Amino acid sequence: MSEDLTQVNSKESSDESKYAASARAFRDNVSRDLANDELRANFRGAMDYLMAKRKDAFSSQDELEMLRYQCKLIKQRCLAKLPYLLEELEQKLEQNGIKVHWAETITEANEIIAQLIAQKNGKSVVKGKSMVSEETALNDYLEQRDVECLESDMGEYIVQMANQHPSHIIMPAIHQNKQQVAKLFADNIDDFSYDTDVDVLIQQGRKVLRDKFCQADVGISGVNFAVAETGTLCLVENEGNGRMCTTVPDLHIAITGIEKVIEKLNDVPPLLSLLTRSATGQAISTYFNMITSARKKGEKDGPKEVHLVLLDNGRSQAFADEELRQTLQCIRCGACMNHCPVYTRIGGHAYGTVYPGPIGKMISPHMLGLEATSDLPSASTLCGACGEVCPVEIPIPRILLRLRKENVKPKNQQPQIMKGQGAGRSSVEAFIWQVWAFVHKSPTLYALSMWGLTRFRFFMPKKLGPWTSVRTAPKPAAMTLHERVKAQKAKQLQAAQKRRV
Amino acid sequence: MTTPSNTKINKISSNARTSILAKLKAQVSGADYAKLPKEIPYDYPLLTHPEHIEQFVGHLEANHAQVIKTHETDIAKVIKAQLEQRNISSLLCGENSLSGEFIVPLKTDINLQAYDFSIDGNKEMLFNECPAALSNSRCAIAATGSIVLWPDSDEPRSLSLVPPIHFVIVDAEKIYADFATLMTEQQWQSKLPTNVVLISGPSKTADIQQTLAYGAHGPKELIVLLLNS
Repeated sequence: MSEDLTQVNSKESSDESKYAASARAFRDNVSRDLANDELRANFRGAMDYLMAKRKDAFSSQDELEMLRYQCKLIKQRCLAKLPYLLEELEQKLEQNGIKVHWAETITEANEIIAQLIAQKNGKSVVKGKSMVSEETALNDYLEQRDVECLESDMGEYIVQMANQHPSHIIMPAIHQNKQQVAKLFADNIDDFSYDTDVDVLIQQGRKVLRDKFCQADVGISGVNFAVAETGTLCLVENEGNGRMCTTVPDLHIAITGIEKVIEKLNDVPPLLSLLTRSATGQAISTYFNMITSARKKGEKDGPKEVHLVLLDNGRSQAFADEELRQTLQCIRCGACMNHCPVYTRIGGHAYGTVYPGPIGKMISPHMLGLEATSDLPSASTLCGACGEVCPVEIPIPRILLRLRKENVKPKNQQPQIMKGQGAGRSSVEAFIWQVWAFVHKSPTLYALSMWGLTRFRFFMPKKLGPWTSVRTAPKPAAMTLHERVKAQKAKQLQAAQKRRV
Repeated sequence: MTTPSNTKINKISSNARTSILAKLKAQVSGADYAKLPKEIPYDYPLLTHPEHIEQFVGHLEANHAQVIKTHETDIAKVIKAQLEQRNISSLLCGENSLSGEFIVPLKTDINLQAYDFSIDGNKEMLFNECPAALSNSRCAIAATGSIVLWPDSDEPRSLSLVPPIHFVIVDAEKIYADFATLMTEQQWQSKLPTNVVLISGPSKTADIQQTLAYGAHGPKELIVLLLNS
């Protein structure tokens, strides 16, 4: 028992996510990826494709806006009742024979899953697409315990083979083109010779993965919606690997974030409709899979045991602030990425986080702390496209601004809303803004400073640090606007007097 | 079955549960739900039954499914012709279908195999020796071109998933306007089975360079026999 306690106590310090380090390297990642023309072409092509698909998916702007408003209200209602819905979900799932586990940290989630697998002597796991399991870096954790964990979504399969992480939450291998995938397969799969025909590549993946589905002891999946009313886990997918993972192996473990619970079964249709259309422009995905229990007596297939792991990992921190809570409305459609000018240019890996793009900039600071993600909220032009396409109307630019504020607050200012508060605070910058505020509060000081700036404008240096690395230095005018207006008015007055004379 | 590892994860879980729920409840306990804004669904235009059928077929065909309008009495003939085109001589189906009067005539030309086994110990056979399957459906959805399967012990979940070709019988009289209407009319919240699946085409992926490819993991072909249309 004492051993358990030490583990619990040391969890904060001992298990920083591996993504914290890669997120800290954001600036270097950006320079690296911006210089990669092939990568940029791959993203540009993919984003143009996805934007066009979404645009064609709605019958009218009216339908889109009504649905967005409805879905926002659904998610806000579910969040307003979140703890009670989680309790109801747990109760219903347990009634249905699905065991529920709770985890505050990624290590707890991994530990629970590893133990569930070990209890069944599981050695081989097939995994359907689950971003939450990327969050916990489950594959690494299981690999260290001699459990093979194979990604079965085609995109994830490619990414895993290339020893990478998904660069997009819906289309994980979007950063690779078919030539790159063909080379990867030729290098890694026995008896496969280089072929860029996408059908050939997919059939090759199919062949390998069907054998794995057939042999696997355990299937792991994510969850798109967990319905509290009925205790149902819903999965959205096109490939069928999600159904394979949740149907064929003896043990099915689903993992999801606590914000995925919804209240009523009737909440599913509008959310589903908006999710698939926002994500890929599909009216519905090929499969919509609703799992309400493990195999019942007399049934011939399906897992004998089903478990759900509910993960917090920083979500309750976002929940504790009414503005930041809106982050949890997200249904993970990826539309904000597809429409983001920054994401399109730097790609998904540059962020260094599990979730890239605007949603990643909003949610990662809660998961990894602001210290590791200090640069992310600023990596936005605030153009507003993300907020405009968000199916649940999350005011993403506003939340990014809020995160920027939390990022530069004094470190010890109370209340502490975010882990890593003030990580981006620089005393020089803070001092400059204090002076700026002081000057701007006094009309005399302001006029004086402006007079100085315009009269001594030739002393303005040509190099202004990072500002001038990609821009020319600003050149103050010869006169302030105030002075010009004053002069103009004087001139007009003079002219009027002349006329009267 | 209380093992040490079980005790350990139960402990992690129960501590996490207490802590998470306490944090969340601290924020929203006592909230007045009456103050939540009213949610208004979008009013979709009402369509006629023939329009629903057209919409249903249109979506499915756009998603690369093959839709064959036929009659109950011709089911065997249609399936036989489709299988012959593909040089396939066996078909997996539910035990009840096997004795169905419109399926029975298939027996003379096709090796009809009943799904009368448990998947345990039979996975290799199911994955490698069953080229095609036939299933029934519960109903369908016009707005998205979706077929609703309600798997049970007669027609298990893997029947519509593992064999590379999936024939499914859909009754046009059971096409609902949309998913929301269907759920409400059939009162799903009171009777969900182990698994429900909505199928809207053959298995597909666009994960390599946004190029659509069919037959990613599940059926490569979805052949819909639409009755009463």
